[in-house]
Parts: sequence; C-alpha cells; structure tokens
Amino acid sequence: MITEPKNQGASIKRITMPGSVVGGAPPAYRVIDAIRRNEPSTPEVHDTLDREEAVVEMKNFCLWYGSTQALFEISMKISRGKVTALIGPSGCGKSTLLRSVNRLNDLVDGVRVRGGMLLNSDPIYAPHVDVIDLRKRLGMVFQKPNPFPMSIFENVIYPLRVDGERRRGVLKDAAERCLKSAALWDEVKDRLDESALGLSGGQQQRLCIARAIVAEPEVLLLDEPCSALDPIATLRIEELIHEISERYTVLIVTHNMQQAARVSDFTALMYLGRLVEYGRTADIFQNPRLRETEDYVTGRFG
Amino acid sequence: MTARGEPAVWLMGLALTVSLVAIALLVGLVAYEGARTFWPRPIHLVTLADRATDAPGAAFLGLPMKEEAYDPGDEAAAEIEALRQRGALPEGSLDADGRPLRRQYRVGNRELTGVPFRWVPLYEIASVETPPSAVLLERWAWGVWVGTPRALLLQDEIEVPKDQPIVEEEWIEAAGGRSVRVTRREIEGPAGEGMRRVRERRYLAEATPEDPEGWRRVWDAFLASHGVASARLAQIRSLSRYDMGRVNDRINDATIEILRAKQEALKAADGSRRRAGWGLWSVIAVSAFGAVCGAFALGRKARALEFSRPKFVVWPRAAWCVAALLLLAAWTERPWGESVMTPQRLAEVIGEQESMIAGLQREYAEVESRIRELESQDARERVEFVQADGRFAPVSQSSLDEPMRVSQVVRAVKPNGGSTGEAVGVYLARWGEFLSGDPRDANTEGGVFPVIFGTVMMTMLLSIIVVPFGIVAALYLREYARQGAVTSILRIAINNLAGVPSIVFGMFGLAFFCVTVGKYIDRGPEAPIERGGWWWLAAGAAILVAGALVMAVMARPAPGCSPQRRHAMMGWAVSILWVAAAALAVYLVARTPYFDGFFSAKPGPTFGTRGILWASLTLALLTLPVVIVATEEAVAAVPRSMREGSYGCGASKWQTIRRIVLPGAMPGIMTGMILAMARGAGEVAPLMFVGAMKQAPKLPVSLDWPFLHAERSFMHLGFHIYDLGFQAPDSEAARPLVWTTTLLLLAIVVFLNLSAILIRARLRAKNRGSAV
Repeated sequence: MITEPKNQGASIKRITMPGSVVGGAPPAYRVIDAIRRNEPSTPEVHDTLDREEAVVEMKNFCLWYGSTQALFEISMKISRGKVTALIGPSGCGKSTLLRSVNRLNDLVDGVRVRGGMLLNSDPIYAPHVDVIDLRKRLGMVFQKPNPFPMSIFENVIYPLRVDGERRRGVLKDAAERCLKSAALWDEVKDRLDESALGLSGGQQQRLCIARAIVAEPEVLLLDEPCSALDPIATLRIEELIHEISERYTVLIVTHNMQQAARVSDFTALMYLGRLVEYGRTADIFQNPRLRETEDYVTGRFG
Repeated sequence: MTARGEPAVWLMGLALTVSLVAIALLVGLVAYEGARTFWPRPIHLVTLADRATDAPGAAFLGLPMKEEAYDPGDEAAAEIEALRQRGALPEGSLDADGRPLRRQYRVGNRELTGVPFRWVPLYEIASVETPPSAVLLERWAWGVWVGTPRALLLQDEIEVPKDQPIVEEEWIEAAGGRSVRVTRREIEGPAGEGMRRVRERRYLAEATPEDPEGWRRVWDAFLASHGVASARLAQIRSLSRYDMGRVNDRINDATIEILRAKQEALKAADGSRRRAGWGLWSVIAVSAFGAVCGAFALGRKARALEFSRPKFVVWPRAAWCVAALLLLAAWTERPWGESVMTPQRLAEVIGEQESMIAGLQREYAEVESRIRELESQDARERVEFVQADGRFAPVSQSSLDEPMRVSQVVRAVKPNGGSTGEAVGVYLARWGEFLSGDPRDANTEGGVFPVIFGTVMMTMLLSIIVVPFGIVAALYLREYARQGAVTSILRIAINNLAGVPSIVFGMFGLAFFCVTVGKYIDRGPEAPIERGGWWWLAAGAAILVAGALVMAVMARPAPGCSPQRRHAMMGWAVSILWVAAAALAVYLVARTPYFDGFFSAKPGPTFGTRGILWASLTLALLTLPVVIVATEEAVAAVPRSMREGSYGCGASKWQTIRRIVLPGAMPGIMTGMILAMARGAGEVAPLMFVGAMKQAPKLPVSLDWPFLHAERSFMHLGFHIYDLGFQAPDSEAARPLVWTTTLLLLAIVVFLNLSAILIRARLRAKNRGSAV
C-alpha cells in the first residue's frame, strides 16, 4: 500500500545551467552572495503563497543565542492544511526556526527574540502568553525517537495526562485513534502496557508521532523525523506524514531533498539564518526563481 | 615491557588482590568466630596433680576454651625441668619448641569461684575426664554454672486433718520410663495452722543396684519440672512487665491529666488563650474562603480558554486546601463551647480521674497478689547442681546455703556423651534465643531482639527522613537554581558536610535536637516575648513576605527574553527578603507566648531527652550529602531529549520533573539511599549522644496509642558491640558474643542493602524496557 509520492520525479530532473563550469570560478548568486557579505537581501517568496490561508505567520522574526544572531528577519506564512518543508545546509537555522514556533528555545539560557510570530492570529511571543498552553496547541516530533520510559499507552496519552485528563474511557479512545492514525495500532494493540522502549526505532518514531497528534494540535512540527531511521522505516514515516497531512498542518525540517520533494506542498530554502526562496514544492524543485535554489536542490551547492 | 604497560597491570592486579584478601579475611574471621560461639563445648573434669606427692589432688569442672604456649617464669621452669628428669612430665604438656603449654577453662560458678575463667598449665594436670553427668547451666543472672545434678526438691502445700501425724516415707515411683526413688516427708507449714502442711518430694542422685548412674533420675525429673517452672516464670515476668506496667502508665496518665486540667483552668481564667483561639479560627476561615474563591476564579478563567484543567486540577487542589485547614481547625482548641476549662469542669475532670486512679490501684493490688502467689510456688522448686568440691549452686550470692530455684535456669546443656543431633539442637536453640530474646545478665547473655529492632527501625526512620529532603534539595540545586557561583559554593559546602567527623554530628544532635527542640516541644519557649511585641513582629514578617512576592514578580524577565542586570539585582533583593522573612518566622515560632509545650504537665522530659527520633534526625543530617550528590548526578543523567519531548507535549516544569525526570533518576536515587542506609546503620559515635542506650526499657513500637513512640530511647547493634566488648562486667565471657553480634550487624547491613539493590534492579529493568 505504498502511496504515490507527491511531485514524483521532481528531484530527478536535472537542468544544466549555462554558467556552471567545472573547476572554474564559483557562479555568482544574487541572494546568497548578499547573505555571505552580510548585506540586506530580499528573499524570493512566490506569489502562489498569497492565495493560501496562514496558520503560522512570522513577521521579521530575529533570534539571538547570547550575542550570536541565529535568525535574521524571517517573514513567512505556513499554509493551513498543507505540508511545508524547511530545507537548507547544516546550521542554516531551520531547526531553530521550528523550535521557535513552540518556544522550545526558551529552555536555552540567554535566548532573545525580536519580531512577531502568530499562531492562528494569536501572538506567540507576547508577555501574557502562557507557554504551557501554547505548547499544548502544537505537536512536536524530534530527530531522535524519544519515547518516555513508561508503557506504550502512557506514552501516547502523555499530553492528555499533563492536561489533567483522567477519564479512562477518553484516554483509551484517544490512544486507539492516534495509534491507528500513526499506523501502529495493529503492531502494539496487544502490548499497550509494555514499555515503549522495547519497540524498534521506526515504531518508536511512529509512537512519537501518535503522541504529537493526540491533543489535536493546530500545527505538527517535525524536526528531521527520519534522520535516525533506516530506509524502510523512513518510507513508512513518509507515508504516515502524507496521510496525516490531510487533517493537520505540518511543518517539517529535513536534510533530505528527495524527502522534501516527496512529502511537502511548499518548500522554504534557508541559508545562514535567512530565508532564500519560498514557494510551492513543484516550483522550487522544477522551476526555481533563483539560481542558488536550482543548484542547491540539484546537489551542486550546499 | 614498560612500554607495553605490563608492570602497571601487575601492580594493579596486586593491589586488587590485596584488597580482596583483606575483605575476605575480615568477613571470614567474623563469620567463623561468630558462627561457632553457640556450638556446645565438652565439659572436662580436670584433676590436678598434687606437686608434693604426685598423687591426684584438687579437681574442677570446666569447658576448654583455648591453648597457648607461655613463659612460665624461673621457678616453674625449674619444676618442669625436675619433672622431666624424673620422667614424670605428662605427654603433650610442652610444645615443639619445648615451651610449656597452658589451657584456658571456662569454669563459671561466679558466686563461688569469683573468676569465671582459669588458666591451667598442662603439666599440672593429672587427668582429664569427660563425665556424662556434667551439665552447663545458663542462668538468668550470675553467668553460667558448671556442675553435676545431685538433688531435686519439690514442695507443695497440702491440707490435712488437724490431728494427722507428720508422715515420712520412701517409695519407688515410675516416672519417664525409669523407676525413681522418692523420699516424701511432710513438714509443718509456714502458716502454722496445723492443717496446712508442706509436703516435700526429694529426687536424690545415689547409685542403686538397678540404676548405677543415680544422677539420671535427678536429671530427668529436673527436665520435667524445668518446663513448668520456666512457663511460670514467663507468666510472672509478663504480669509484672506488661500488666503492672500498663496499670502504672494509666495511673501516670490520669495524674498528668489532672495537672493539665489545672493548667488549662489557669489559662482559661487569664483570657488571652481565648483571644488567640479566635484569631487562629478567623485565619482558618479566611484562608478556606480564599481557597474556594481562588478555585472559582481560576475555573472561570480556564473555561474561557476552553481548557480542561479546572475540573481535574483546580477543584481537587482547592478541596485539599480546605481539608487541611479543617484538620487544623479540628486540632485547634475551639474558643467557644465546653472545652474551655471552667472551675466546674475542672472539678468534674479531677473527680473523674481520681475515681479512675482508685480503680486502677485496686487492679494493681490484684496483679501484685497474683504475682506473689506464683512466686511462692516458684520458691518451692529447688535443684542442687554441685561443682567438683560438692558445693551446690546457691539461690543468690548472699545465701550460699540455699539451693537455687529451678526457674533460675534458662537452659541446661549436657554436652558430654551426647549425639551430634543433640548438639545441633542446642546450637539452633541458642541462635533462636539470640535472635528473638531479650538480653539478660547485663547484656552478656541472652538475645538481642530489641537491639536488632532498634537498629532496623532507626535505619528505616533515617531513610524515610533523608530521602525526601535529599531529593528536594538536589532537584532545587539542579533544576531550579540558576547555575553559578552560589550553587558551586553550596555544592562545596554539601560535600564538606560529608567529611565532618560523625561525633560532631552527635554533639550537634544532642545540643540542638534533644536539648533545644525537644525541650521546646515539651515545655514551650523558655523566654517568650511579650504579646504586643509578638504581633508587631508578625506584622513585620507579613510585610516582608508580601514585599518578596511583589519583587519576585517584578524580577521575572519578559517571556522569551533573557534576564537583564536589573532582574539579577531584583532577584538578589528577593532572596534577601525571603531569608529575612524566614529568620523572623523562626524567631516568632521560637519565642511565641502562645505555646507552652505538649507535655508541660508531665514531670520528666518526654522529647527533651535522647530518643530514636533525634537519633534518626541526626543521622539523616549526617547522610544527607550522600543522597543529595547521588540524586543530583542521577537527575543530570536524564537525557535532554526526554525533557524536551515532555515540554513539547505541553508539560510544565514540575510535571516534567515528576513524570519524566524523577522516574528516570530513581535508580540513582536508590543508590544514594543505599549508601545512606549503610552508613547510618553502621554509625555508633553520634548515637551515644542522641539515643542509643545500654538497655532500653521498652521497644519504640507498641500496641498503645500512638504505636510509634519516637521519643523513646533504643538499643543499637553497633553500640551493643562496643558495650559488650568494653563495658561488660565480665568481658572475657562476653567476647564470643561480640563476634556473633558483629556477624549479625554485618548480616543486617547486607540484608538492607540487598533489598534496596533488588528494588533498584527492578526499576532499572523497567526504565530500560524489555528488549533493546
């Protein structure tokens, strides 16, 4: 039951650029060169996004770790009910941006932010915001599967537990619903009371996804969810993302260009803490406006 | 070889071997010496050679303990030389180097011999026999008696017609499958009424044609009557200890109740108590109202946010608050109603208590007469065990011509000529008594049950106290406190606390817990401040707390921003305010004029003396650093991904700590607890200051309210070992018991540690999961 990946073949198509000479001088890039020189640059945001309804909206969002600035003037909208992928070379700030949405960066000492971020038009970084309530509205899955050292059942319903839900029936229904959504129910339904640490890596990651969606989040944040998994498990997670994207808004960080091409509707390319190009995945991969994007998705740069 | 590091390997292996051998030696020695103490030894009838004539001379009975070569001195050496030249030196009386040997005998019979041990040079011994009739008696007092049975005297009171002549007769009685010659004679009864007489039956050890070993009759008859006599003695002890003790305690309680009522009446007359009661009640009422209102407000706010917390979190918490306040209210004296001591009520209470005392005194007299009756029966059963010179074991040192009572014997062991099965029986019976009995004869004999109980209970109490404190302190240090200079200094201080000599903790415990806190609990503050001044100070403390709360809110940086310099300054100010408020609160409690102790009516100290609670607290303080350090390490080892996962699910900091960090750190915390328990159970020096006693009159647990008597003193194995080894009246006799007690202490520490380790292993398995 392998589903048809979206935008099939997008990454396979190679476009030979006239200026790319092997061994010659590096090609000139409009945005990235400006970023490298630390000059202000305007990211290329496609107008196809204007038609979309935004769930998360960032306006000139900046973030510092101590005195080091990690994010520069990020302005982008995450579309409702779609899968948005963040791609870019290592250290470009895509994970930081993801973790800024549910304010997980607050745990790091010496973090400062400037600029705005809205979740369904509620401010995320306003002084009166209850961070706990905010995080309850978002689900997050991490790079490495991190099931808690408790039973599978308790793992899945953890967000409900910390929200104070104690009715056994509600918890049971929620666990079954989410494990079914995460395509894990058939594998674990007979051992819900066993430790979650006994599951395989792929099962653990699907358990984490089930846990992330149990509280019906407004946005699901996935931080390189497949990077610690083998190809088969990766495939299953991708199918799962595809399935749950019908009901949730998904923001996914990935290193893997093919993965971004397969699972996402929109793709944003970041570089050194700045947004470079943002548009529909098909456009980014097949018809990018910037040469640097073209080179990055085809693997000639990055 | 140097380059490949092999010398280092050899050195390390050597060091490890030395350590292992040292440990094995320690455990082996303790186990060997401790295990053999209770094995029955044979009894020798030693006849000494008369040096003048070489004919057999004086004889004695004794248990051989050990042999050694010794330096005899010139005179004895000359004598040995002379004997050797004559060829009259007994074989085996010199060792391989030609040095004379001597043997130590345990001769017991302290009333007559004075010294219970005796060294005998082997060359002086003419002969050694092991007579089957020799018996070792373990007695309630005066150590052991070694002798042979000679006679058993049983008397009972009979009623006869007034003019019946006194009868004296002899006949053969079949008893225990053996025919026994019994002499019966009647003697005038002590009442002298003529119709009550004492009839005496005498079992005598004399050789008869059909029973050449006459002592067996006495032995069998003794064994039969010993069971009855022991049961009777147990009954006497239980009556005087429990029944009489309980009646006594109740009389004491009633007396104290009267004193307390009088004090209450004085206070009620003065009126200030009533005002304080109203004050406390209004505080309780206002707080309960506040809790309910707060719950309402929170609930409304939460409902507005469509958030499911109110039903499940806010209301139960409010209910808990109200319940706690109601409990406080129930405990607080109501300033209205009957409980206020009016003169009429005082008279009522005194009348009630006095009639109760009169009833109790009648009960006391009944118990006393019952004990007297049993004791007079006990005094009529006597037995004669004679040592080699024919003198029998006396009833006490002051009346040497009266044979001892049957009930004075705890256990009679006849080791010579017995089978291995009998020896094993004696061995097990002695272990049984050791583990389950009370100590007797100034702790040198008998069991150590109260000692085991005290040790285990103190260790349990100590871990119950130290673990929560240690966990909370470590969590604050690691999870909440901002890491910096202050936390580093705190950590250094905690580690230094672990290095303070334990005797210092003992001194502190005595000075602070027993004398200061205990006395406060008993009698209230020594010099309370004046009432008006107290309220002014209380108002000051309230202002400090309010100021600290307000500044704490201001000291928090805006969400998502790192703290500025002014926030740090504000934080310091808040800390100073909190410290000042806490100090003032402690001062207010310590000098309050509204408290005068829970036991002020009692004449002696209750908590103001050494006790198991203070000992546990002192040792908790001593072991706190161990728990804090272990917990901190365990908490730090919980992976960051777990915490982030929990925060990502919308858990608060406390929820993350409680549901993720603490369960993950539990095995490490258990390790800290194990270390603390091991250290606490083995500590002796501080206990001598704060609670361990040579003999505690009662166990710290009983069936009387409040079941756990934390103020009572207790016995501890470590202190018991010290006491046996150095404080016993006869340390030579107590030495084997020192080994056995040491073995027991080791076993208990191992047992406590092992159970904690098992629990930890199960936790670890749970955390690690079944597979992977």
